[in-house]
Amino acid sequence: MIVQNIFFWVLALAMVLGAIGVVRSQNVVHAALYLVVVMAGAAAQYILLAAEFVAWVQVIIYIGAVIILFLFGIMLTRAPMGGDTKLDNDQRWPAAVVSVFLAGVLGALLIDAFGKKEIVISGAKGEQLLQVGKAGHLADSIFTAYVVPFEVVSILLLAALVGAVVIARRD
Amino acid sequence: MNPGWDFHAIAPVIIITATIVAVLIADFFFEYRGRFRTQQIASLGVLAAMIPIITLAVDGGTREMFNGGFVVDPYSLVFQGFFLAAAYISMLLSVDYIGDGDYYQGEFYVLLLTSVLGMLVMSSARDLISIFVALETISIPTFVLAGWRKHDPKSNEAAIKYYLIGVMSSAVMLYGMSLVFGLTGSTLLSEIADKVRTLDSPLLIVAGFLTIAGFAFKVSAVPFHFWAPDTYEGAPTPVTAFLSVASKVGGFVALLSVVWFGFSPNSAMFQPVLWGLAAASLILGNLVALRQTNIVRMLAYSSIAQGGFILVPFAVASDGGAWTSSIQSVVIYTLIYGAMNLGAFAIVIALARRTRSAEITSFAGLGQYAPGMAIVMSMFLFSLAGVPPFAGWFAKFTMFRAALDANTPAATVLAALAAVSSVIAFFYYARVAREMWFHQPPEGADVHPIRTPVALNAAVVICAAIVIAVGVYPQLFARLGDLAAGG
Amino acid sequence: MILNQFLILAAVLFCIGVYGVLARRNGVLVLMSVELMLNAVNINLIAFSAYLRETAGEVFALFVITIAAAEVGVGLAIVLLIYRNLHSPDLDHVEQLKG
Repeated sequence: MIVQNIFFWVLALAMVLGAIGVVRSQNVVHAALYLVVVMAGAAAQYILLAAEFVAWVQVIIYIGAVIILFLFGIMLTRAPMGGDTKLDNDQRWPAAVVSVFLAGVLGALLIDAFGKKEIVISGAKGEQLLQVGKAGHLADSIFTAYVVPFEVVSILLLAALVGAVVIARRD
Repeated sequence: MNPGWDFHAIAPVIIITATIVAVLIADFFFEYRGRFRTQQIASLGVLAAMIPIITLAVDGGTREMFNGGFVVDPYSLVFQGFFLAAAYISMLLSVDYIGDGDYYQGEFYVLLLTSVLGMLVMSSARDLISIFVALETISIPTFVLAGWRKHDPKSNEAAIKYYLIGVMSSAVMLYGMSLVFGLTGSTLLSEIADKVRTLDSPLLIVAGFLTIAGFAFKVSAVPFHFWAPDTYEGAPTPVTAFLSVASKVGGFVALLSVVWFGFSPNSAMFQPVLWGLAAASLILGNLVALRQTNIVRMLAYSSIAQGGFILVPFAVASDGGAWTSSIQSVVIYTLIYGAMNLGAFAIVIALARRTRSAEITSFAGLGQYAPGMAIVMSMFLFSLAGVPPFAGWFAKFTMFRAALDANTPAATVLAALAAVSSVIAFFYYARVAREMWFHQPPEGADVHPIRTPVALNAAVVICAAIVIAVGVYPQLFARLGDLAAGG
Repeated sequence: MILNQFLILAAVLFCIGVYGVLARRNGVLVLMSVELMLNAVNINLIAFSAYLRETAGEVFALFVITIAAAEVGVGLAIVLLIYRNLHSPDLDHVEQLKG
């Protein structure tokens, strides 16, 4: 219990600092790398929550593909990397106020709704009670209850591929 | 283990999927001049998909799959039929525009059909995951379609603005959905409804608000409407027509499903928000439309206002009888709105072929040199305004009936607002008609009769037929509304 | 571990993402902020899934990851198109249409 909590807080701190880095950094490539920190932290959190399959999907798809896409996009649009161009618009302060206010409201409501309810992962003898994250259970769920969205997502990915190629082609 | 698939129930979805793949592969084989054949294949597929809709409707009853996550009942069949019809008409509108402009063709229909696939699944989806996936399947191809005119900066701008606001609203909606899942323990709308009946938590209200806010972007309700006028103006006009009708109604179906099947027992979750959205859309949409000089922007604000009219029954529905008339009203209004709006855009496209302009002043004198077009356009405009004997009056009538059935002070205020808005709206619709009939054509304009391509004519005829038929004999659509609400 | 740890972490990340969407000028950076928001949603879903012992939340998270990937692909293509026509990825330069 204690070890998990320590891991959680260390990861949470890293993720929040990384997130702030994404939205405040004046170098686009640094922002992308801070995003990697956040996503890797998220993957580690999923492992803490006994969702190993989702954690690895996160690493492979998000960090392994999406971030690479971002870096390619940054490279191909020759985004300013020198730090002399301003990357923020004029609405920084109103945005900050909105953001802090929203965080306050959500935090208060979450504490009110869930209090100190615990997530039970391991039983008294240390065996893992939480089985929902196992790949077998996920597969059961996806291929029986959620098979229609699953198939539709494959067509969506095909369409996104076709669309991206059409739009990005040089002609 | 047998997943228990009912192939008849998902037949339309399967047919559209097969059409998408067929169009993509066929495009590979057609040479440059024969590219329009991809539209024919696509249209054939859409018509073929309508066949199981009819057989399912005749068969009657409700089919449920996946624990109630995918339901085929009259409600979903009505909307599926609508989406297929709207897709067919949109393809008729686009074939000449895309062909003449030398834009990518086969891929256009692949993306259009993928969006339609999302709409078909959305009509049947009864759990949060399916609704989310269907909503994204509707939206993501349209982001790309909005930017189809690659060398036009306005089209680029339309695409990026629509895209960024679209993905941000998805994220907000998802956050709301995750909270709903957490508070109710399920993604199935029927189970959510059971839980929210007794759950009294401010977090639930915020969750409902965030979820609805996400949908509100999709249907361009005020104050989440900012993307709509720019995107409508910048995107290729057939895409705008498709967005304003099919995509918007797709969003409304999502909203209707989630609110009716999921949130209805707990009205605090959705009623105040929807009341505010409806009122704001009615006021702002109509007032700003008055000031527009560009027909596409005017139609954009008009569709924001029409969205407000469609939201009115949502906002006033409460337990009991008012729900039935509300659902009926939403269904009927969206069906009629689809026909009117597509028709109006068809004429805009037809005229733009000649005048190459989207200003309202380019309509001047149309009554003299293209009386047929002017008559049909006047029909659509007056229908949008709600003037009998065109179908729009019945749409507004069902809306007022739903508001008065609810019988609460909030409902009456909203009904009054809707009435005032209708009167204001009449002025900007009539202004276009005035240009057409009472003004002279601009100096040096080409006043030879306009020859429009067959496909465009067919689209106009279909829409006009619906608008007149339903206006004179509303029972046609009233029956559909009854079926959908009862089912 | 308390459920709220994860939920409040997710809420903080979500709000930082909101700030990024409102304050950033470069299209790619706005997109990164949206990715922050989506990751926050996923943390919410997985935490609820573990707390409620419901697989649906994790399935939902998988779909969110997949669709986020599709969105980023399309979005970067559009940003690339704009860059080619305007030679600048700055969103403030995209001003043709009046608001």
